[in-house]
Amino acid sequence: MDMSYQEWSITGSLAAMLVVYGYYFAAVLRHVGQLEFALGRLIFAVIAIVVIEIVYHIVLALETHPEPKDERDVVIEAKAYRNAYFAYGTGAFLVISAVIAAGLARIAITPFLVVNLVLLFMVLAEVVKLVTQLLCYRRGS
Amino acid sequence: MGNAHIRNNIRRLRFDRSEMTQQQLAEKVGVTRQTVIAIEGDKYSPSLEVAFRIARAFGVPLEEVFQYVGTEDSDENAA
Repeated sequence: MDMSYQEWSITGSLAAMLVVYGYYFAAVLRHVGQLEFALGRLIFAVIAIVVIEIVYHIVLALETHPEPKDERDVVIEAKAYRNAYFAYGTGAFLVISAVIAAGLARIAITPFLVVNLVLLFMVLAEVVKLVTQLLCYRRGS
Repeated sequence: MGNAHIRNNIRRLRFDRSEMTQQQLAEKVGVTRQTVIAIEGDKYSPSLEVAFRIARAFGVPLEEVFQYVGTEDSDENAA
């Protein structure tokens, strides 16, 4: 497949996000309620993402011809951020609604749940951004 | 507001100039080859600055590279 440097870069970031945070949420779901366990895994996930991104982009720079962003890259990135903002805003609204509804119904919502829900929507927003960019590049728009 | 319809003659102008490649044009204009492909395929409308740089790369006026052929709305209003 003929892909540009930007597309390879985004594809690598997307794969890293899905693998690392997929592992994080799978691990956390097996230890529901254990905030310290989740914190330890989160720190590991953040470090893993940074290391994977650095190594991947070094290899990518050696294997391909890195190109600086031009105006079309910036336009595509702006569209992607718009979609990501919508996804994250929707997530934030849902979390706030859930906390208020739980409060009214006198159901306890733990910090563990709120933290992980917010994190989930942050990850989803980033995935939406990266997928939007890939779709725009593939469509040639 | 409908989609703008901007047509271009980049492909013809490239071939008129000793079959200039998309990569060569991209380097002259200062954009990526993918952006030249998108502009040439009428899938991306460049900024005025890039449009002028493309015209300058071919040594022709802007109108010879790009033509504005209206929008869906303006076509409907005109009818």
